[in-house]
Amino acid sequence: MTLLRRTAYSSSASSSILQIAGTFFRAPHSSTAAVAGSTYGVHVFQCPDTVGIVAKLSECIASHGGNIHSVDVFVPEDRRVFYSRSEFVFDPARWPRVLMDNDFSNLSKFFNAKISIVRVPDLEPKHKIGVLASKQEHCLVDLLHEWQDGRLPVDIKCVISNHERAPNTHVIRFLERHGIPYHCLPTSPGNKREDEILNLVKDTDFLVLARYMQILSGRFLDSYGKDIINIHHGLLPSFRGGNPSKQAYDAGVKLIGATSHFVTEGLDAGPIIEQMVERVSHRDNLRSFVQKSENLEKQCLGKAIKSYCELRVLPYELKKTVVF
Amino acid sequence: MVVAGASSSSSSSILGIASGFFSRALHSSKTSSGPPTAVHGIHVFHCPDVVGIVAKLSECIALRGGNIHSVDVFVPENKQVFYSRCEFVFHPARWPRDEINNDFMKLSKLFNAERSVVRVPYLDPKYKIAVLASKQDHCLFDLLHRWQEGRLPVDISCVISNHVRSPNTHVIRFLERHGIPYHHLPTTPRNKREDEILELVADTDFLVLARYMQILSGRFLESYGKDIINIHHGLLPSFKGGNPSKQAFDAGVKLIGATSHFVTEELDSGAIIEQMVERVSHRDTLQSFVQKSENLEKQCLAQALKSYCELQVLHCDTNKTVVF
Repeated sequence: MTLLRRTAYSSSASSSILQIAGTFFRAPHSSTAAVAGSTYGVHVFQCPDTVGIVAKLSECIASHGGNIHSVDVFVPEDRRVFYSRSEFVFDPARWPRVLMDNDFSNLSKFFNAKISIVRVPDLEPKHKIGVLASKQEHCLVDLLHEWQDGRLPVDIKCVISNHERAPNTHVIRFLERHGIPYHCLPTSPGNKREDEILNLVKDTDFLVLARYMQILSGRFLDSYGKDIINIHHGLLPSFRGGNPSKQAYDAGVKLIGATSHFVTEGLDAGPIIEQMVERVSHRDNLRSFVQKSENLEKQCLGKAIKSYCELRVLPYELKKTVVF
Repeated sequence: MVVAGASSSSSSSILGIASGFFSRALHSSKTSSGPPTAVHGIHVFHCPDVVGIVAKLSECIALRGGNIHSVDVFVPENKQVFYSRCEFVFHPARWPRDEINNDFMKLSKLFNAERSVVRVPYLDPKYKIAVLASKQDHCLFDLLHRWQEGRLPVDISCVISNHVRSPNTHVIRFLERHGIPYHHLPTTPRNKREDEILELVADTDFLVLARYMQILSGRFLESYGKDIINIHHGLLPSFKGGNPSKQAFDAGVKLIGATSHFVTEELDSGAIIEQMVERVSHRDTLQSFVQKSENLEKQCLAQALKSYCELQVLHCDTNKTVVF
């Protein structure tokens, strides 16, 4: 209901927005304006739902000459919460970054927002991440290659592993070539090296567990405080824990999958970001189960990280996510 | 290798015989009042693996003028078990139905087969099934409509339900129109009416649980002795038991599914026959989860029944299936 009313509000405002924006639509014909109005920004917003949010957000962008290219709005049926993600282009000369922060901050206060983040990829540093891995390499290697190809818009601060890798291995040579430190922190049942890890990653924006086989304690999660994305090689909530490919194989399922999710204290229980499946049949053996699974994990983790970096992933209720 | 060698000399003669029948069959099928001259047969075989099985099976068919159209053979990597399914066309005058049984029976004994089934859909009676349902109609409806359209090659001997349906409901009118009895057997925690059900279904070849919400006891399963196919509205082994759509919704998964499987004493744990998935997102409500789920259940159950009737489903290990 509220969403409908909001649409009504914004339709009257929208004509004036269109008028304002219309002058800028003409802008591309002049050469200086074409370059100026083309810096890309993303804004995500989560607040208690009320009438008029979209109107105010879009007005804010338009009044600074920003041209909205994409908007996703979501208000759940049964809860008065508002989520939105807007993509827009603007001219930093006309709307400096600092002012932009202030403007959205004002709106954030106005609507008592729980989340209000604006990101201008060209003007800001990339997300800094730490990657943790154990012995299995396929996710780590795939991640590194995607990063090298420019398809993963992050800064990899370091790779941490509880598994040793010799200097002449592909991973080590790759990391050396790119100046990314590799920290080998072997773990034991009594010592998970969490304090050392915390120290190494304190400067990061989020962590990626690329088949890191150690469970991070609640204390670690509290201390780190930021998001941690994990890949689980099974279709959660099926087959939690170890060796899900073998569990799936023994269970005689016809579909296997991978799940990427946020890490919480419960094992393989945090909010799910992305899931992918593939068919299996009697003709598959354990080895092909594992191969198909590894393939899915790489894709699933890659997609989750990209969505996260593009500000598409928002927490939703206790155990879920909105993924725009 | 052996098979190709043995049959290459006889295949030209088989083709010669078969093509004669094909051409006469094609031209004469519309005008003749008797059965078509070339008839379609299926044979499935499950026995300990050994050299020479395919050779002997194919020789048996060829000697009687049968032309093999399709063969699926599967021997697992690590077990000496052999599974095959052959489709062939033959001439009943040349290879009478009861002789087919004898010939395959001899092979069955020769190879100490665990299972050897031959089916000639045109000549054999259709599978007799009983369908059990509770309050939810959608799977039952879909099944009945497919049957009416000739897409489910079975004889429905009765529908049994623990839920009462009044005479003016679609299901009851449909069943009346087609002369299929509807037996209303309400259940209580202490009385599952199993003896009455057993009596009603004594004459059937297999049972279909189309969202029948009662658990059948081990005693029932042993007494009935034949296959029972169930549809579970979740992607097993996730979300066993009641209300899996709600379980899935609460778990924040991004994929939901349906599973059809054989019924065993343990709830939702029998060998899986078919699984299907569909994507869900934050935009889905519990209602749309349920709708997508119901859609998947209908398709998944129908596919499982079709495969089963076409002898494509074989039991493998204790809890798996081969589905050719």
